[in-house]
Amino acid sequence: MDTHFAQRRRRDLIVAACLAAIAALVPLFVKDVYVENIMVLTLMYAALSQSWNILSGYCGQISLGHALYFGLGAYTTALLFTKFGVLPWFGMLAGGAISAVIAMALGYPCFRLRGHYFVIATIVIAEIALLLIQNWDWAGAALGIDIPVRGDSWLKFQFTRSKLPYFYFALALACIAWLVTWWLEDSKWGYWWRAVKDNPDAAESLGVVVFNSKMGAAAVSAFLVAVGGSFYAQFVSYIDPESVMGFQFSLLMALPAVLGGIGTLWGPVLGAVILIPLTELTRSFVGGSGRGVDLIVYGALIVAISLALPKGLVSVFSMLSGRKEAAR
Amino acid sequence: MTVLLETRGVWQRFGGLVANSDVSISVGRGEIVGLIGPNGAGKSTLFNLIAGVLPPTQGSIIFDGEDVTKLPAAERCQRGVGRTFQVVKSFETMTVIDNVIVGALIRNTKMRIARQKAYEVLEFCGLAARADKLAADLVPSEKRRLEVARALATEPKLLLLDEVLTGLTPVEAQTGVELVRKVRATGVTVLMVEHVMEIVMPLVDRAIVLNLGKVLVEGKPTEVVRNPEVISAYLGDRHAVGA
Repeated sequence: MDTHFAQRRRRDLIVAACLAAIAALVPLFVKDVYVENIMVLTLMYAALSQSWNILSGYCGQISLGHALYFGLGAYTTALLFTKFGVLPWFGMLAGGAISAVIAMALGYPCFRLRGHYFVIATIVIAEIALLLIQNWDWAGAALGIDIPVRGDSWLKFQFTRSKLPYFYFALALACIAWLVTWWLEDSKWGYWWRAVKDNPDAAESLGVVVFNSKMGAAAVSAFLVAVGGSFYAQFVSYIDPESVMGFQFSLLMALPAVLGGIGTLWGPVLGAVILIPLTELTRSFVGGSGRGVDLIVYGALIVAISLALPKGLVSVFSMLSGRKEAAR
Repeated sequence: MTVLLETRGVWQRFGGLVANSDVSISVGRGEIVGLIGPNGAGKSTLFNLIAGVLPPTQGSIIFDGEDVTKLPAAERCQRGVGRTFQVVKSFETMTVIDNVIVGALIRNTKMRIARQKAYEVLEFCGLAARADKLAADLVPSEKRRLEVARALATEPKLLLLDEVLTGLTPVEAQTGVELVRKVRATGVTVLMVEHVMEIVMPLVDRAIVLNLGKVLVEGKPTEVVRNPEVISAYLGDRHAVGA
């Protein structure tokens, strides 16, 4: 049975490598800028949702305020670059570090809350942060920050002529977030987090320091989301508070994981691959016919999937493999 | 026989309610001690105080020669206190073996070794065949055994069993009794709260009877069950006269 487990882990890794390789080849065949844009966003949300999943899926601390860390990443990078000329690569790491520290500072009081109260706290804190940024003149207040174009270069992480470099970066980010999750899943932290989610009292009785476990999950999760935010700032090259810290980002990080399978390795990827193109397509094709139709279609779909597969889309795969095993 | 666990004048008050008053007990290394008493006697509270779920209002708890009164539950587990819960608290979304791995991780940092260790504990508890099942899919008696397995994986010096034999069929209960004997044979000291007298009395070396938050009697199981005070605590004064 030990080998059975090791086999599954290895199979996950091989499947991920194959999928990444296929994804890397797609731009060779697809030259459409619109489609490229959707692919970049899909990969970015896969990475974000995967990171959100660490705190909310594995550790069970549902956050609907992760837009805060996304915005922090975006703002740190943009401010460091425009005000001090710091390269976005360093801004990315700085944004990640700042977010991780803030996540722990906020976790210190908030992790004493359980269930719905914790969720409410995360929403409120993100909204407060949004208001603060909107009124912070030095950071551009409500007008936001225009990231000046200094020509295409990897050093400055700016590309105006082609979206391809962004695509590969987003792919790398999604791969990193997946790998981090994969690695954490079979580590002490991974087991502790799931134990904390299922039953904190029992976890504590087995030597798990519940509070520290939550703090660890929050830090890793916030760091990765902030790197995603930094990337987004470079990708759109103009940010304002609503466009990087609005509540919709918190939802868009949570939804792919929830829909794909919360607390699972493949859930966020699967959810993002289905959800993000769907969002973009419904917006382009029915969004023009009157405001809201795209959202109705989108919402109806989410309701349908959650009713049919309450454990997420990944449960289809386990059902299929279960049937295969039963047939043997 | 040296003392492993000692409570010294432990009090626990919840508002106006006194759950434990001046409880001083001791458990020797290698013993199986039964903690019995009618409902509301304060057994579970005492258990929680020993496990570190909450600190006592007054008094101290000495474990393995150290004052652990102020240490939280996780820290006590680290020092060798393992426990089960009266109402089972399995990690329902995790597999049986993963449940046990959580416990094994406190002594083993390498995942491969923790997994190996967890599997051995499952074999010891007779759950190895269910290793890859979800904990949620176990039947109640198996969930009880999983509680024990999880606690054993932390390699405790003292194992606190909170009504692990209650509510089982006679056959299941007998398997449970054998498991407890096996556990003691490996050198683990056992303190168990139990309701079912006829099962627990032949098993324990010594019984401590709690009533109304106080220690009523302690001694050999055969003596304890004949004690008029114990009979009156369980059945009322009328029956005690006859004894």
